[in-house]
Amino acid sequence: MRDNTLELIGLYMRTTVRSWFQYRVDALLRSVAVFLREAAGVIAIYFTLLKFDNLNGWGLQEMMFLYSLLFLTYGILIIFFTGLRDFGAMVRTGKFDRYILRPRGLLFQMIFVNADWFAAVGHGGLGILLFVITAGRVGIRWTPGTIVYYVLAVAGGVLIQGAVFLFLATLNIFLLETGSLKELLYYDTRKFAGYPISIFHKAIQCFMIYVVPMAFVNYFPAQFLLRKPDMAQFPEIFLYIPFAVGVGVYLLAYLFWRFGLRFYKSSGN
Amino acid sequence: MGSLIEVRDLSKTFKVSRRGKGIPGMVANLFVPRYEKRQAVKEVSFDIEEGEMVGFIGPNGAGKSTTIKMLSGILYPDSGSLRVAGYVPYRQRRDYVSKIGVVFGQKSQLQWDLPVIDSFELLKAIYRIPGEVYRRNLERYTEMLNMGGFLNQPVRQLSLGQRMRADIVAALLHSPRIVFFDEPTIGVDVVGKEVIRSFLRELNARDRLTMIFTTHDMQDIEKTCRRLLIIDGGSKVYDGSLEGIRAKYSAVRQLEVEFAESLTVLPMEHVTIQDLDAYKKRFLFESAQVEIQDLMNRLLSEYPVRDLNITEPAIEGIIRRIYGGEEV
Repeated sequence: MRDNTLELIGLYMRTTVRSWFQYRVDALLRSVAVFLREAAGVIAIYFTLLKFDNLNGWGLQEMMFLYSLLFLTYGILIIFFTGLRDFGAMVRTGKFDRYILRPRGLLFQMIFVNADWFAAVGHGGLGILLFVITAGRVGIRWTPGTIVYYVLAVAGGVLIQGAVFLFLATLNIFLLETGSLKELLYYDTRKFAGYPISIFHKAIQCFMIYVVPMAFVNYFPAQFLLRKPDMAQFPEIFLYIPFAVGVGVYLLAYLFWRFGLRFYKSSGN
Repeated sequence: MGSLIEVRDLSKTFKVSRRGKGIPGMVANLFVPRYEKRQAVKEVSFDIEEGEMVGFIGPNGAGKSTTIKMLSGILYPDSGSLRVAGYVPYRQRRDYVSKIGVVFGQKSQLQWDLPVIDSFELLKAIYRIPGEVYRRNLERYTEMLNMGGFLNQPVRQLSLGQRMRADIVAALLHSPRIVFFDEPTIGVDVVGKEVIRSFLRELNARDRLTMIFTTHDMQDIEKTCRRLLIIDGGSKVYDGSLEGIRAKYSAVRQLEVEFAESLTVLPMEHVTIQDLDAYKKRFLFESAQVEIQDLMNRLLSEYPVRDLNITEPAIEGIIRRIYGGEEV
């Protein structure tokens, strides 16, 4: 039979856009609200930094460039991983049963069946804005080489955070409720990633490199492009592997997902 | 060739975490989780042939949902074997699920904010339904269920009865061979229920579509199914026809007689007589001990009878007694 996977992905996308943007004014306001909420955090850091001049050698523009990667990757991530973000609720209510009953891959369905477009527009918009403001002022020479690196780094960043979402989603099969763990492993770690990790204690650095590798989402890619002196305390190889780290942790999370599905228990009626 | 559905010694046990009381118990559970095993389904076996309509009933927690979830491929069984339409559901999930349809009365599969037709179009792509099949099914079912008026309305604006009809069509668009219905008329008004039931009967009669129902509404079963499977405490307690259950479980039958005058009936062996009013009396007896024919002949020959009425005990009452754990 003719493969219609791409057609289905298109249809899923159209469906989620139409669902999320049912009420146009509300959709616009909510996207703006997400944008402003995140921008407020950036502005707070902006004013703090005005007092300090620099943080371990990172100037204001460079900090904003570091931030832009975080928002941009999240904006893309949430288009594909909303289903896994909300997976806990899906398991608790038994809605996941419905996806098992459809003749399509389960992860495929989780990735395409829903997309939080408000978050995508809010975070992604802020990421693009910060990038546009800073990309030309932080001394990066945009050559075909650096552009390819940047694109791969963004893809790697999406995969790393996707892996965290996938891992936490799988944990839901065993634990049913993982809200606070997600807060700790993801949202708190992401707050740390808003700063150059060299300013933190060694333990936190290790956590962000080896446990939840958020450092590869923005710090090391930004370092590759900016070459700040605080890079001296980390192995140089870290500059070249963000995309590989993304693929690696995503594969690990995928194996855990495959393993976890066997234990899915469904919920009572 | 075996049956369409073959279930042999199917069992499923859940681990249920057992917590101590209060906060100390919670903390203890955090470090040393304690589980107890609860067997939801115990060595259940049955066969279902193509074109059958089977009612699958049992009290809450009896294991019928678990059995249906194993049949539809949602849960892995612990032991026993399971074969549906030539597939092992939990092993060949993707191939298998395109052969079945599932309607959850309480969980809609339609897109809440979008018109009904949009959900159907999405299902067409998900199930890779050929355009011609899709159009034919859609046209036929929407006409049979009189849905033309609300196909373009968002699901959130539909009445419960309309939504249920849309959900049933959604489960049928890909021409499944077997359809599972979980409480398909819950919350629907009397007229709506009748529309759904007669639609399903017609579908079964015309297409020989195999259907399995779980419901607490005995009317659903009586009006659609010829066969009944009762499960209680994880085990199968009855498998047979609706009439058979009356014969097997309802030992007590009753005959109501209206006499032409006020009179006293002489006592009869194995028959209990109740006075309903001055002219009417009720005779209760066990079918094993008293032939109804004999009783009627005797009454008609000895007394002036104006009217005679045999009442069948309602299935619902019988089922309740079976759930109550009555010995067979």
